Amino acid sequence: MSIMEYNGSAVVAMKGNNCVAIAADKRLGQRQMTIDTDFQKVFPITERTYVGLAGLATDVKTLHDRFRMRVNLYKHREERVIEPKTFANLVSHMLYEHRFGSYFVEPVIAGLDKDDQPFICNMDNIGCIDLADNFIVSGTAGENLYGTCESLWEPGLEPEELFETISQALLNAVDRDSMSGWGAVVHIITPSGVITRELKSRMD
Amino acid sequence: MAQLKPGEVSLGTTIMAVQFEGGVVVGADSRTTTGTYIANRVTDKLTKVHDRIYCCRSGSAADTQAVADIVAYHLELYTAQHGKEPTVKVAASLFQQLCYENKNRLSAGIIIAGWDKVEGSSVYEIPLGGSIHKQPFALGGSGSVFIYGYCDKNFQLNMSKEECIEFVKNSVSLAMTRDGSSGGVIRLAVITEDNVERLLVTGDKLPEQYLG
Repeated sequence: MSIMEYNGSAVVAMKGNNCVAIAADKRLGQRQMTIDTDFQKVFPITERTYVGLAGLATDVKTLHDRFRMRVNLYKHREERVIEPKTFANLVSHMLYEHRFGSYFVEPVIAGLDKDDQPFICNMDNIGCIDLADNFIVSGTAGENLYGTCESLWEPGLEPEELFETISQALLNAVDRDSMSGWGAVVHIITPSGVITRELKSRMD
Repeated sequence: MAQLKPGEVSLGTTIMAVQFEGGVVVGADSRTTTGTYIANRVTDKLTKVHDRIYCCRSGSAADTQAVADIVAYHLELYTAQHGKEPTVKVAASLFQQLCYENKNRLSAGIIIAGWDKVEGSSVYEIPLGGSIHKQPFALGGSGSVFIYGYCDKNFQLNMSKEECIEFVKNSVSLAMTRDGSSGGVIRLAVITEDNVERLLVTGDKLPEQYLG
């Protein structure tokens, strides 16, 4: 089993009409055994930018702490809040610094920039940014998520429609992956605020 | 003992069988995996090898299907050859012979349970090496490790049919929550002298448990 599959994860982000959504499962496992069904993988970076971290759990926790420090320092120095695109480049740089001894994480970033334009991207474990117009997937259920997202996503979805679409895409993808699932959380980021909902899912 | 080959389909699983006066209850989850991908989420791991004799399969899907087919063939012929129905002991012996003689090439953990006129109800377990163990109840598969404590505490001899069904449902459900290789629905079969009753418990009807 590869190190990226050791803990199990599923993260997905989608663009909508002036909104973005990011969702992840809540399982923490050790190979086949499930040890936590409430493990956080999506973290707020600013009020309008969220990052989802798929991969080895210890690196998920460590990277979140490092991002928090760098973003706080940025805020002090720049006296403004970091934009999603800038944060993505920051993450990319931090990952490439460990090019030959990398973190085992594939981040997904979703947010709204200062003009309320949606932004989503993901990266491989050494920081290659992949920008997308529609959706971004990551984790052990990544291949499954490609299938569900490709069939369910359409452009111009409003926040409530986007919530339904991303929830169904995630739930049905993790049901075909033995390493992810066991609960899910969805964040819909809109210009007026963030709506966070927990999903009731299969616990197997 | 053979390891699963890369790409081979695994019945990483939870299976169990419980004996009661007048019959047996066999139960299993329904997940089949290839690596981490769930190839079949509604698998039937309870396989009929004779009218009142069922086996629960864990390990390699291919190996257990092949072995079960061979045993079913022999049992079908048995009545014609011997003039009486085969006993569960005979079925278990046939499984053992195949699993032991081919132990280096097979990856199969099987539980055999059923009803016959001689012994009434019986449960036999054949783990990886091909040894045979007659037990009042048996657990098998990767998910079984999570429920040994629960089963040791909650099993009692001479439970009723309904109590056995609840016992199997609760145990398999607990294993499915903890084991990544087990999940889906719970399939049960209640084997008595008169008939075989197949039951299905879907995800929304699983017993209550603490889920964090």
